Amino acid sequence: MIPKPTRRAGGLKRLLTMARLGVAMLFHSKLRLAGTLLGVVFPVVLANFALETMFGLLQKSTLLQRNAGADIWIVPSSAEILGQGTVDYQNLLIARTTPGVAQAQPALFGPAAVTLPNGRREGVTLLGVAEPYDLGGPWNLVAGDVRVLRHPDTLLFDSSARETFGGLNVGSVREVNDRRTSVGGFTWGLAPFGASFAFADYETAREYLHVPRDRVGFVLVRLEPGADPQEVAAALRGRVDDAAVHPTADFVQLGYRQILTKTPIGVTFVTISAFGLIVGLVIVGLAMFSSVVDNLKEFGTLKAVGLGMVDLSAILLSQAALYAAMGSALGLLLVNGLARLMRSPNVGLELPPALALGTAVTMGLVCAVSSLLAIQRLRTIEAGIVFR
Amino acid sequence: MRAVNVAGAWKTFGSGPEAVHALRGVDFHAEAGEMVMISGPSGSGKTTLLSLIGCILRPSRGEVRLLDTVVSELPESALAPIRLSHVGFVFHSPNFIASLAAAENVALMLQLRDLPERGARELLELVGMSHRADAEVSGLSGGERQRVAIARAVAGSPPIILADEPTASLDAKNGTLVCEILRRLAKELGHAVVVVTHDPRVLHLADRRVNIEDGSVTEVIQ
Repeated sequence: MIPKPTRRAGGLKRLLTMARLGVAMLFHSKLRLAGTLLGVVFPVVLANFALETMFGLLQKSTLLQRNAGADIWIVPSSAEILGQGTVDYQNLLIARTTPGVAQAQPALFGPAAVTLPNGRREGVTLLGVAEPYDLGGPWNLVAGDVRVLRHPDTLLFDSSARETFGGLNVGSVREVNDRRTSVGGFTWGLAPFGASFAFADYETAREYLHVPRDRVGFVLVRLEPGADPQEVAAALRGRVDDAAVHPTADFVQLGYRQILTKTPIGVTFVTISAFGLIVGLVIVGLAMFSSVVDNLKEFGTLKAVGLGMVDLSAILLSQAALYAAMGSALGLLLVNGLARLMRSPNVGLELPPALALGTAVTMGLVCAVSSLLAIQRLRTIEAGIVFR
Repeated sequence: MRAVNVAGAWKTFGSGPEAVHALRGVDFHAEAGEMVMISGPSGSGKTTLLSLIGCILRPSRGEVRLLDTVVSELPESALAPIRLSHVGFVFHSPNFIASLAAAENVALMLQLRDLPERGARELLELVGMSHRADAEVSGLSGGERQRVAIARAVAGSPPIILADEPTASLDAKNGTLVCEILRRLAKELGHAVVVVTHDPRVLHLADRRVNIEDGSVTEVIQ
């Protein structure tokens, strides 16, 4: 009695068999595995460092917006960044009488120059805030007391800039915008995108920055509990004169947009990331293609015994997935390790977890696309190769 | 019962004046439990005939039937599943998956035929290779490789076993051993075994011998 035709495994079971075979084939050639993983790790590291740096810069550029404690900002309508222009003092009074507003304070933001003992001048970002100094900073105070700002010509510097300004200590005296100024204390970690922050009382800052009494740099608004920022902002827009009104979340987004669209930063970092991905695409693609070429007889045998293109593609796609998973994991570990070593208030490296996950998913897609050339090569292999 | 029936099969490669007729109206059959050897000089069309029977090539004319299925009428896409369910191959060069051990190569075929992989060791025992089950295939001798290849071919017990020059690179002892195993599969398990060979040392093991020359059957020796 002749045996009956055999059954054929189907569906998921067959795909799993192909995936296991793909993994076994992948680990068989250790040198190729190492080389290909390098091709995945490289773009993961490059793209993540570029993106970490970019996100770090975005965070730095919105440091004040995110930490000032304000719910709404009233800023010059023509200004694209803080520090450009001023608004009418009347807007401060309008804000204070708008329903839903608990507190409104004037603030100033502008560049100043610190003269060092050796005569050299270094830039500082002067931030003028009004008593009781709970809107607009200072925050992260590590030395001194915020009340020292009440003293004339007294500033709080950031500790990251102590050496820059010639070895500052509490009580040190420097000339700021040609006015003799004493150091009242230090904040920590407030290194924005640009010159470090120095906090001053609003009146001190107004004099240092030569702003007239009837103008303010911008107005910080804190809402009453339960008030809706969008509704209060809409009410303010109808009342203020020649000023823009932004809830904080919108203002932070506006800052991101300006950095990304009005400076070359966004294009530069995205180009670096894209370059890394292209390199990864080419390396993985060539490795997988050469893997097929080197194993023509193996793949031919699999075709001869009855495997179809779906089965063979599953082998390569499982390899692509494994390359992406292993390469992304190694790359992200490396990036995180390096970032931990390098991170400081001055070196902003920020990578949201969602973006790290996005990198891994992107690498998965890159590796899958890379395998297409190899899959195309598989298509041309004849099962008859086994008889040659 | 006829497991394989080839009727008036032609296979032509190329066209016009360049056309090469590898097979010219070949008739061939193999019964269940029979070992048929196809012999003939190099280039005579032996392997082309084996490729038609194994659904790797389709005839230009004529009919190829495996059991009840006329495979020559099936589209290309339907041939791979037929190969998997109907045919076990023993190639001249075993063409194992190098990354898998001997037993794993056999187990792969079992899995593809929806059978538990643990049967691989029993199959290796059938060909006297259970002691080398975990060996890397690259470390096997020629004779051992062909025996593992036979175990892989019969994994899941397909009705037809096709072997292409299985003794070509083996010494007389191993060549005879391999052919004796193939014969045993035919006699004890009922497989239809078709062996292409021009090895005179093993021709005596065939139930029937079909000689091909220049694409035509010239002699059938019972």
